[in-house]
Amino acid sequence: MKISLPRMRKSKASKKAVTGFDQAKWIRGFSIAAIVIWIFYSFVVDVLPYEVSSIFQKWMPATTVNEALVWVICALGLNIVVGYAGLLDLGFVAFWAIGGYVAGWLMSDFFQQVSIHLGSTAPAQQRGIHISFWGVLVIGGLVAAVFGVIIGAPTLRLKSDYLALVTLGFGEIIPQIFYNGENIGGFNLTNGSKGIAPVDNVGLFGKTLGPFDLDWKYLIFVSLTALMVFISLRIRSGRLGRAWLAIREDELAASMMGVPLMRSKLAAYAIGAVSGGVGGVAFATHVNGVFADRFSFSISIILLAMVVLGGMGNVWGVIVGALTIAWVNATGLPAIGDTFNSAFGTKINFPSYNFLLFGGILIFMMLYKREGMLPESRLKELLHETDDETSNTGRHS
Amino acid sequence: MAKSSARLSARLLIERTSASLIIGLVFFWLAINLLKSPSQFFQASVIGISNGVLYALIALGYTLVYGIIELINFAHGDLFMLGGVFAATFIAVWFGQESPSSVGYVVFFACLIAVMGFCATINVAIERFAYRRLRRAPKLAPLITAVGVSFILQFVGMRWNGSGPKTWNSVLPSGEFVISGVHIQYTTIFSFAVTIPLLALMTFIVTKTRRGKAMRATAQDADAARLMGINVNKTIAFTFALGGALAGAAGLLFQQTRGVTNYNLGYQLGLIAFTSAVLGGIGNLSGAVLGAILIGLVQGLNDGLPIGLGQQWSQTVVFSILILLMTFRPTGLLGKPMIEKV
Amino acid sequence: MSNKSALNANNISVKFGGLVAVDDVSFDIPENSVISLIGPNGAGKTTFFNVLTGLYKPTSGTVTFDGKDITAKPPHKIAQAGVARTFQNIRLFGLMTAEENVMVAMHSHLKSGVLSTILGTRKQRAEEAESKKIARELLEFVGIGGTADKFARNLSYGDQRRLEVARALALQPKVLLLDEPTAGMNPQESKVFVDFVYRVRDEKNLGILLIEHDMSVVMKVSERITVLDRGQKIAEGTPAEIKSDKRVIEAYLGKSAESGK
Repeated sequence: MKISLPRMRKSKASKKAVTGFDQAKWIRGFSIAAIVIWIFYSFVVDVLPYEVSSIFQKWMPATTVNEALVWVICALGLNIVVGYAGLLDLGFVAFWAIGGYVAGWLMSDFFQQVSIHLGSTAPAQQRGIHISFWGVLVIGGLVAAVFGVIIGAPTLRLKSDYLALVTLGFGEIIPQIFYNGENIGGFNLTNGSKGIAPVDNVGLFGKTLGPFDLDWKYLIFVSLTALMVFISLRIRSGRLGRAWLAIREDELAASMMGVPLMRSKLAAYAIGAVSGGVGGVAFATHVNGVFADRFSFSISIILLAMVVLGGMGNVWGVIVGALTIAWVNATGLPAIGDTFNSAFGTKINFPSYNFLLFGGILIFMMLYKREGMLPESRLKELLHETDDETSNTGRHS
Repeated sequence: MAKSSARLSARLLIERTSASLIIGLVFFWLAINLLKSPSQFFQASVIGISNGVLYALIALGYTLVYGIIELINFAHGDLFMLGGVFAATFIAVWFGQESPSSVGYVVFFACLIAVMGFCATINVAIERFAYRRLRRAPKLAPLITAVGVSFILQFVGMRWNGSGPKTWNSVLPSGEFVISGVHIQYTTIFSFAVTIPLLALMTFIVTKTRRGKAMRATAQDADAARLMGINVNKTIAFTFALGGALAGAAGLLFQQTRGVTNYNLGYQLGLIAFTSAVLGGIGNLSGAVLGAILIGLVQGLNDGLPIGLGQQWSQTVVFSILILLMTFRPTGLLGKPMIEKV
Repeated sequence: MSNKSALNANNISVKFGGLVAVDDVSFDIPENSVISLIGPNGAGKTTFFNVLTGLYKPTSGTVTFDGKDITAKPPHKIAQAGVARTFQNIRLFGLMTAEENVMVAMHSHLKSGVLSTILGTRKQRAEEAESKKIARELLEFVGIGGTADKFARNLSYGDQRRLEVARALALQPKVLLLDEPTAGMNPQESKVFVDFVYRVRDEKNLGILLIEHDMSVVMKVSERITVLDRGQKIAEGTPAEIKSDKRVIEAYLGKSAESGK
């Protein structure tokens, strides 16, 4: 990994200029990749001969691409909490769920008791709350942020292992509330295990996008991803980002240098949660509903694996890690399985190996490549320093 | 003088008041249920305590390991789950014992030894290959590794036991006796008969043997222990073996008394057991047992009482207790506060 | 020494369970002064430091700073009020550059919120540029101007010590607490350090409190010395007075020294 020289890089999108990692190169790379993919799936795929396009359908269907982007958005949120601030949140699925249910509540016929329409694509005579997708994104993010503060508050004085458990606890409680929410004091809050479906279509420049308008949805999801990347990088280059890095390394020393620990940690939880909430709303429009049984602990762990694989604190690494793992989970394992089985006449159920995969990734990365596959150069040093020598730059608590 | 100590005592006051309020509410809830339906109350308590005793075996593993290397072994609950699967395979598949008989009892006890050895070995292997290298690493690393190990163990459970629950018939005597409306299963008595000697044995090992003393010394100060000639690596391995053995025993008991194995049992029960360990004071052995019985009681009462949230909220109740504990009293009932040296 | 007191510690006692680490210690750090706190190992000096900076809450006693009571306030508030410190075992943010380390300590002086940071408003950019400038000036001041972009972890030991001071100075403190700043330094470096301390005191107009073991440094740099032994204050005075104080000698050398006098 080359040594990064902190220089101010002037790039076309000059707002994204930050010191450290070779940002401009990555921004350019991803922008180009994003546009190429869009062009490919919108136009090129249609004119390809069947043999070629079916390969793509098997190995990289558009739905997987969109779903992977949702994972990326959520992983970026977790990256802020774990990667920047060093707070091991094992219950991030809660924010995904919250985003999903906000979408379910505000973009469907669920609340038959009222009829509120605000910029929505739904026909005016439908009952329920129907707010425009764009408004719901904002609301979902804010609601998630509030819960981020609620979840973070008890952890502020705890050591990292206890912190992990409290967040894990919330990561269990919140989905369970959604799952059992059919009858809260007689009121049907969440429709329980049935979930809420369908959700309204997304309105964009006068078009109405249903769950099958994958190419336009792709653009939206990519833009949301870009937004989260932008926010992450901007904050990190400012005083809050420095505060987070200091807290991650040595929170005691940080507090003695005037960094307000509580406020900074809560900010990390809140801002990270926004990303989770936004991802949750986006996902609800992708699967056209919100379903309680999807929000399990393993999702929190998959997100963690994504952040760990990509390199904690490294936005680009996390994107790559998230895309990789999401793809493997959704398409890669089944497709590889089919190919393998038909080639060798075996009947191995590849997708059932996913637990082995995630567990293996976590263990392997921690033992051998703690800095991630695409490390932020500073992290490489932090996570190996205390192994062999007595450190004199403070311990991560 | 006044301002900041006033602030301190204000916070203390809030904490004490909320704690008292919560405890008061709990007692109130218990009292109402007791008055409303005493036999149901006692029934639920019996179930709760018998669960609690099982949790104690698992909780001890958590607290032993945390006491000695300050790591929450996330994978510990899954070890318990594997113990259950092993037990089912041993008793029902290898020896074909599926109903009470004298051969059945012999096989049961043989299995007890075997499963304890099995789980102890796995736990020692995990420590050796996954955790040992990370002993000096920042806390994030071994924690994440432990989560990874948990997933691998669950994977093994899935391959071995399938992706859904399996039911089994027990070699333990079925049937119950009834005391004034309260049903006590023979299997419950049996559980106690196995668990209590195990706990006694463990107490003996920890307090009276050299290995046990080495454990306690290492838990207090590993460097000093090393200077005294204690082989810290071996001691830690021994601790893991002990914890693993207890988890295995718990797995066997669970499989025989509840008749069920499932790959995700470890996760669910592991968290409950861990909460018990924290409730009692993490690192404190009698605390783990005490905490486990209390949590078992709370859970049993919540599930079985007329005025309770019911089983579907069971996890939420236990996790809420965990969160409240961590927020207000992380040292638990019997634990000691720790001070960070600067 | 008729300067106003910047920091007062009154009857501070710290008990950990049964152990009495600090026993009814009072003293003052005046503005624009250099005071040393000495005593044998385990005398309670660092514990006392930690009380002054809000890390420990004293079992009894108060700490007043600039006329205000700061006892048991959270550490970051005390730091913001103007009490800065360095650490016995250097606690830099190793993975941040020297410049960033200093900028962290400026956190409470910066005003930009999250939103303006995200949007990159003119005001926020100006503030960032300004703080970078100040950080570099501080690095120059302590003599490590060339290391601004190096990771703190990669600096030499001496430079790391200086960086800690630069970082502490970024708090714009009125009182600076230095915990064994010359540990690991040779006599040449210690001498340079003594001059440095005077410069800091005069150019920044600070009250400086040092914990030190190196007696030559202590005697040279201090205007006053306070001696702790087993948690109690056993002597206080000018270097000359302390040098010949019987109790101090006894504390350091043990009772056998007395018989030799």
